[in-house]
Amino acid sequence: MGFHNIEEINNIVSTIPFIDVLEKFKQVGIFLEGKTSVNLEGLNESLNFDVQIFPQYPLKSNDSEAIKFINKDLISYNHVMGDGSICIHTLHSPKLKQKLLADFESLKAWIEKYYINKNIDSHYEHVIINEQPFDDIYYSYQFTDVDYSFSKGEFGQVDLTPLSNGIYKKKPISNFLIKSFQPLKKTIKINSKWSEYYMNFEVKNIGLFLFLEDVPAFHNRFAFSNWLELENYIPTDFLQFLYDFQKRNKKHKNTFLPIFFGYKTVENEIHWISTLVKINEIPTIGIPVIDSKGVKLKGQWESKLINRKINWAITRNSSYKYLFGRGTFCDKITNARILIIGVGAIGSMVAKTLVKCGAKNISIVDYDVKEPENVCRSEYNFSNGLYDKTFELIKTLQENSPFVNVNFHNNNEYFESFIKAFHKDKEAKKEYEKSLNQFDIVFNCSTDSDLMFVLDQLKLSTDLINLSITNHAKDLVCAFYPNIYNYVQNQFINILDNDVDDLYNPTGCWSPTFKASYNDISLLTQYALKEINRKYEENKPKDNFTLSINSGNNTNIKFTQY
Amino acid sequence: MATDKTQHLQQVLETHRMAHIEKLLDKYKEKRQEVKEALEENYKDKIYNPINSGSYAKHTAINIKFDLDIVVPFKRNSFDTLEEMFNDVFDFLYEKYKDVAEVRKQKVSIGIIFDADDNGDEINIDVVAGRELNQDQYTEDHNLNLFVNSQYGLLDEKTYIQTNIQAQIDHIKGKNNERSIIRLLKIWKTTNNESYKSFFLELITIKAFDKESISGNLWDKLKSVMEYIKENITKDNFTLKDPGNTNNDVADTLEDWEKTNLSNKMSNMISNIENNSDNIKTYFPINEEFEEEDENKGQYGLKDASIVAPSIPNKSQQFG
Repeated sequence: MGFHNIEEINNIVSTIPFIDVLEKFKQVGIFLEGKTSVNLEGLNESLNFDVQIFPQYPLKSNDSEAIKFINKDLISYNHVMGDGSICIHTLHSPKLKQKLLADFESLKAWIEKYYINKNIDSHYEHVIINEQPFDDIYYSYQFTDVDYSFSKGEFGQVDLTPLSNGIYKKKPISNFLIKSFQPLKKTIKINSKWSEYYMNFEVKNIGLFLFLEDVPAFHNRFAFSNWLELENYIPTDFLQFLYDFQKRNKKHKNTFLPIFFGYKTVENEIHWISTLVKINEIPTIGIPVIDSKGVKLKGQWESKLINRKINWAITRNSSYKYLFGRGTFCDKITNARILIIGVGAIGSMVAKTLVKCGAKNISIVDYDVKEPENVCRSEYNFSNGLYDKTFELIKTLQENSPFVNVNFHNNNEYFESFIKAFHKDKEAKKEYEKSLNQFDIVFNCSTDSDLMFVLDQLKLSTDLINLSITNHAKDLVCAFYPNIYNYVQNQFINILDNDVDDLYNPTGCWSPTFKASYNDISLLTQYALKEINRKYEENKPKDNFTLSINSGNNTNIKFTQY
Repeated sequence: MATDKTQHLQQVLETHRMAHIEKLLDKYKEKRQEVKEALEENYKDKIYNPINSGSYAKHTAINIKFDLDIVVPFKRNSFDTLEEMFNDVFDFLYEKYKDVAEVRKQKVSIGIIFDADDNGDEINIDVVAGRELNQDQYTEDHNLNLFVNSQYGLLDEKTYIQTNIQAQIDHIKGKNNERSIIRLLKIWKTTNNESYKSFFLELITIKAFDKESISGNLWDKLKSVMEYIKENITKDNFTLKDPGNTNNDVADTLEDWEKTNLSNKMSNMISNIENNSDNIKTYFPINEEFEEEDENKGQYGLKDASIVAPSIPNKSQQFG
């Protein structure tokens, strides 16, 4: 059975003015295949394309177009894949005619932009690598920035630290981080700029690196696929180094050794690609050294690369720029030293959101423990069981970003009780002020009115922000130092409808808590954080505000600026 | 429960009266007299009689934050330059009080903050030294030149301003309606930690009464002044002439963005109070220290009877 009306497709294509049909579409297996020729102003001669239509057409499949325009002679041009197919992405349309016309228009646009006008994209297109499993297991290596400038031909050892094992494209995968580089002829260790947490991971594996500087790829786009293609890129002393390494590690002959090749992309950025070779299968051969007269020098051998396919492993640039490239809070927040006091529902959401939005330095303080029933509306996991809140949250935050350093603040569980006891003492007060002022931003999410009162009495240069909600997460109150205590009190007592009768009573003696779901709380918390970010980004005055859920026919959030 | 805005504002004014802190005020007056006498003794016939100025002299003082000001009018031939005069007064006060106070140079004055006494009271006296423009001219028109301590000014060069303290005091004489509003705006500024200068709020309030017909109850008047500020402060041609020197435009002390923020703030205040009268308590809080207790409730000092329960969170309970 065919998937398409072939006649209709042929009719439509024949109406496109810049297309000559060389061979009409016919069914070949599950595909339709045809040949067309494109004639455009600016083209010296027409360009021919094999056209392949997939059964899903006009729908896309796995985010790719279900039509391919192929011309292998065009491989050196931008946005052409290894099989010679032009990479196009066009509009969605379930209508065959509209989609066909759009796709051919898109082909025409590609020819005009990249073939005729030879445009260069403003963004960098990374080298295309055919990532392969090794003995049916994928290996991935993530790298980040280092404070070091590699020179061409520099090589040495790479320290690797395992991240986790998982499933990737239905096969097992072993994930690693590149922790550091040790150039052979130097005594330095070049550390990756991961957070302390990741840098404290143990080194369990090693690899080798060679900085090529130049891109080991055809047309700067298709990574080499045979070791011989690297002949002019790899210096002989590295081959000797490989040979020596092999000799020293004979007993590990079946172990995979990752070899990393580095090159420059844009703005001196370095990218690493990696292959794995078994130690006894290093792709070199020893050949005798020949003098200028063609005579073999006795006992002198040198290594040469051999004709063998390169299988590429997976590497990813996971530097801050790439990891957070899709969106962050503004620099004033991400670069700030931030303290979060109280990491319950709101506090844990604030912490996690800050980390997901690129914050680099967070301290937390809370005396409380996480109970299983806290899980449903906070950033804690059931799988961890009962846990000190700060300890679990630190773990969660570190797991979310390799660029955040998370710390406990000031004796952690004793902070709240000590500050309340000692804040009237002049010297102690000064010490608390000093310790809080070392932060740029302090979020008080403790919802503790006594603590709020005490903090409001201190002379602070830090930005103190108090966040709390009313029962049912009906309202959120955000107050900025120094206008916190009176404002928040007046909001809760006089302005907002804080229903304290309808509370939830969990197990335990007299410990009623508010009723609200994760969705209720995070909705308001995210809104508040967005507004706080805006205030920092646009340098707006840090004036207090409230958010109130208005549940009429629709859900509305009313924002009131004070 | 809705709040009667005018009744509330009256209570705000009442609880912020200086009369509540008579004992403290006496200490201030005593210190001021002491400083005045020390200056007179030191400078003898180089100066005219020092005069009292500032909010207390203008009857716009509030009891939560105030200082007492002394203006010392120097004769033309007392010092060659204003800077010499300023530094000499500073050196004199510093030497005299360094062991019992912090003496510091401010923008146009010298601040003396006496160390807290046994009751924890700190006393602030500001000394403004000015010099007449020409020989014997002060007695005729009270004009003085003040030295501007450059680190606070916008200009890099050390400079001076001409002013007339007496004219500033006279400017507000007899204006009781204006005074109430000025005091309310000062209470707002102080309790909400706003950075606007009291003198600016004073002048803009007087101008509002001058330009608009402001009447009705206390809230109506306050609201009209706030609306005047909201509508006018961002206008390009808006000025606030210093009655001490018409060449000084006090509106110029605010940057454009500060004017926009102030206008927005006034707008938010009006709409939030109109939407919910209880919001007035955030912007204009009662000074609870001097709030008269309602003895009929029988709660022996516990204001809110609803919180009396063995273990039920009251409305002030924050969640999250």
